[in-house]
Amino acid sequence: MRLNHHRVGHLLSPYLDGELLPKEAVAVQEHLLECAACREVYDRLRATKALLGELPVAEPPAEFWTAVRAPRGFRFPLTARLPLRWPALRRRVAWVAAAGIVLLALALAPLIKGSLDRLHAAEIGVDLFVREHALQMSTQPLTDRAFLGVVAGDSDLVLVGEPARPGETAP
Amino acid sequence: MIIALISRALAVSAVLVLVATEVNFAAPPPALAPARILQLALDAPRLVDYEGTKVVTALRGGRVETITVAESHKRPDSIRLEYLSPEDLAGRLIVDNGAVTWHYEPRLNMAFEGPTLEGGVLSRDLTMLLRNYRVSALGVEDVIGRQAYVIGLDPIRRGVRRQLWVDRATGTVLRSEERDPSRGVILSTYFSRISFSLNQPEAYFQFRKPAGARLFKMFATEAGSMSPAALQARVRFAVLIPPVLPEGYTFRGGALSRFGSLESVYLRYSNGGNLISFFEAPAGSIGWPSAGQRTTVEGQPARLVDLGYFRVLIWEQRGLRVTAVGTVPTETLLTVAGHIAAGREQALVQDVSTMIQSDPTTVRKLRGEGLTFPEVARTIVLSQRLGTDLPTTVRFVRGSLTATDLAGKLGMRPEALQKMVEQAAGDIKGVPALKHPR
Repeated sequence: MRLNHHRVGHLLSPYLDGELLPKEAVAVQEHLLECAACREVYDRLRATKALLGELPVAEPPAEFWTAVRAPRGFRFPLTARLPLRWPALRRRVAWVAAAGIVLLALALAPLIKGSLDRLHAAEIGVDLFVREHALQMSTQPLTDRAFLGVVAGDSDLVLVGEPARPGETAP
Repeated sequence: MIIALISRALAVSAVLVLVATEVNFAAPPPALAPARILQLALDAPRLVDYEGTKVVTALRGGRVETITVAESHKRPDSIRLEYLSPEDLAGRLIVDNGAVTWHYEPRLNMAFEGPTLEGGVLSRDLTMLLRNYRVSALGVEDVIGRQAYVIGLDPIRRGVRRQLWVDRATGTVLRSEERDPSRGVILSTYFSRISFSLNQPEAYFQFRKPAGARLFKMFATEAGSMSPAALQARVRFAVLIPPVLPEGYTFRGGALSRFGSLESVYLRYSNGGNLISFFEAPAGSIGWPSAGQRTTVEGQPARLVDLGYFRVLIWEQRGLRVTAVGTVPTETLLTVAGHIAAGREQALVQDVSTMIQSDPTTVRKLRGEGLTFPEVARTIVLSQRLGTDLPTTVRFVRGSLTATDLAGKLGMRPEALQKMVEQAAGDIKGVPALKHPR
């Protein structure tokens, strides 16, 4: 079993705690013997762990499990039904017309899409850039993820044409 | 009489024992270097799981807002955030497994899939932070009944000051505060309740799309990193590279960003604690924002949108719409924009190459890697003095190679290297730098 840097990065902490399967532990050990960079990270983690206090194994608090709940407010799309009582001829004409509309739509799609995209881009304003900046802020070591979730989440909504908060006007 | 004396002595001894016990309880924890405490805080997410309730207070659009969120973390890089208040945010769910983030909005039954918010957890590095911030230990305080080291991070140049309360037992940041020099506290967070070592199930950090929910994939920016020179080969407009930035900010990556028909070049610069982003797109491809206040950049109309924590500055030059986003003071953002809008790239390449006696091709090549003019000058001068190749010197100037490591490579003492770096800095004083407004 061979592991790459990325995988070893994920396994170092459980390796330190003796939580890996024997074959995984052997693979991590082999990688550490070969790789100075991962060895350095491992030594640092081990030193940090040594500094940390002994933590008691705690039972999750009751409110933790109440927090694990299914999202509310599911909605199912309405299904539309075509009336089936039309005479056969009228139905045939309708099918031909529908096929014509589909062909026309396919031909015009790139043009329409391009125009819509341009219109949409013109409406975006700064939200796309604020979202991308907030996502990249997560690479900064001291940034708070809960706050970034608010900023990036609000921008997601604005980018699909919804107001960031109910009651606000859509952008 | 004797009995009275004995009982008094016993009473005094009991008091002394109690006092001694109390003193022992209140004994200060062993002193730890501030940088070590910071390292503890950066390593903690890889070592501990937790679940708690966090209160975030942030400045949003000129008003202070308090947000409550149930935050669960599973090592090394998974996070689940369930927003509890205010009412208009309640129910928002963010689940991140370290590779992908899902955002679910129950009131609209919409889900969004995008890049991870935990991208930096596995590669947290102190080098840039220690280079650009003064880290000081401010003592030990109790936070929700837990002892916490208090450390301050003061930017060596002007910028946002941070204070962190780091749990002594686990290294987790229990409380944090960010203070803008001009506006006071702009962001504060604290856990009102936290539990550790829960061994939370993996499934809790995986998202299952609720039935009927509309899913939007929101991967606007290409993964990976490209230099401005590489980006230039991908777009039809001239990519603008900031000539100067606040001292300490260095190029951290570039990418193409696409949303519908809008294609923009994204350049990001960091000082290890904060980020300034630049987005460049053809002027006609994006609307001019109606929000924000009118201002000017190099005499041209510009718009400043103050979102509280983030500030956004938008201006146009030579057919391009440039948007800068950051947490730096407004004056700094305007000064940086002014340098870009001045459009003196070619003149500065000539001036700097004459000043440091280097060929313009080298200067241009380093600019193509995203270096500012002061960084270009520092790189070339140091490379000449130390006899190091340009790529190694660039890594050192950008902070991805520490002074100790470079000194080790060169077989010299770190103090001697530091002296040479200071001398080099003195020799390039004539190179244009950002004048910090006071």
